[in-house]
Amino acid sequence: MFRQAVRQVAKQSSSVVRRSYATESSSTASDALKLSLALPHQTLYSEAEVQQVNLPSVNGDLGILANHIPIVEQLRPGLLEIISKGGETDQYFVSGGIATVQPGNKLTISAIEAFKPDQFDAQAVKNLIADAQKRAASSDEVVVAEANIELEVLEALQGVAK
Amino acid sequence: MFRLGATQVARTTGARNYATLREIEMRLKSIKNIEKITNTMKIVASTRLNKAQRAMASSRVFNKSDSEFYANAEPETPEQSKTLLVVVSSDKGLCGSIHSQISKSARRRAAELNGEVDIVTIGDKVKTQLLRTHGDKLKLSFNGVGKEAPNFTEVSLIADEIATLGKYDNIEVLYNKFLSGVSFEPSKFSVFAAEAIEKAPGLSKYELESENTSETLAEFSLANSILAAMAEGYASEVSARRNAMDNASKNAGEMINSFTILYNRTRQAVITNELVDIITGASSLD
Repeated sequence: MFRQAVRQVAKQSSSVVRRSYATESSSTASDALKLSLALPHQTLYSEAEVQQVNLPSVNGDLGILANHIPIVEQLRPGLLEIISKGGETDQYFVSGGIATVQPGNKLTISAIEAFKPDQFDAQAVKNLIADAQKRAASSDEVVVAEANIELEVLEALQGVAK
Repeated sequence: MFRLGATQVARTTGARNYATLREIEMRLKSIKNIEKITNTMKIVASTRLNKAQRAMASSRVFNKSDSEFYANAEPETPEQSKTLLVVVSSDKGLCGSIHSQISKSARRRAAELNGEVDIVTIGDKVKTQLLRTHGDKLKLSFNGVGKEAPNFTEVSLIADEIATLGKYDNIEVLYNKFLSGVSFEPSKFSVFAAEAIEKAPGLSKYELESENTSETLAEFSLANSILAAMAEGYASEVSARRNAMDNASKNAGEMINSFTILYNRTRQAVITNELVDIITGASSLD
């Protein structure tokens, strides 16, 4: 809530600045948010200009617009929403990673895995949850820890997969 | 039969100034086989090169967010602390000077840091090379990697193992940077510990919400750097192997040419000799 207010203030103030220094702002290429979404084995977005990005962070979901203050956020398993300039929404389920807003209006997201929601099979997710739950009841600590991480991802995925 | 006996005699005496036809033929055949092998290896390497370069390009983008963060935050390495050198290479040879270059640069770096280093190697080749000079510094080594482009799972396993070595304020990942199809250059990534990130002068540019973000960041960027290093190293290795095998095939081709000429000449000489024998034999009967 507070952050939203800050962002609005930030947005307003930047628009004020833009108005008063119109010539200067037109010389700095563009005010759009530049998104790079990278996986270790694939690059999904490379400095693409987008309207807004909604991130699932460990501290709660946050929406990032242009001119956001630089932050570093750890991602939790959840749905990443990218709203393009035209208003279309692209959704990716990410298992985790790091999102960084760099100075200079750039958002870089390094995710380990990202897939579109329609690429998931809800039935397979259910089976995997049942399997992980079984292992979470094990007596081996390592197995339990691994199973709990799996459950965290799978439960987030359950809400997403259709 | 007789000729075989003759070569054996020649071999035992060691003073042999005239190779027999059979010997030349055998050498020619084995060179031809070697050329076939090197040529196949070259073809395999060049098909892999495309894939390796793709993997490298995506790992570069993946690592860029980290490097940009470090460029802005400017963390400083604390003085008087032990450095961990992670030397990234692979298990397989036949790829030119890839492994010796990287171990040379590791040795140089170790000397620069006055030996205040611990070394972790990824890949058998570089391990055997560093074991000779820095055997006491070697803490951990991995093998069985680098057969194909690295994936994040194996990298995180490696990073996990490295984390068990304890805390290092400064970790440097040495790798062969892929410059072009024909050149590579030993370079390094610096990975900073959580404390160094927290003390970084430029960190105030960023807003960090949770307490342990810097720790997560340090761990994540270690895995990231290793991934990028392995992807770059793999691409350089494949391209170096392609070049090495290309040269080997060329050399084999040259040898085949000269040996074919020698073979033909010797054959002609043998035939001439036999003809002379026959003719002198026939003429002596008259």
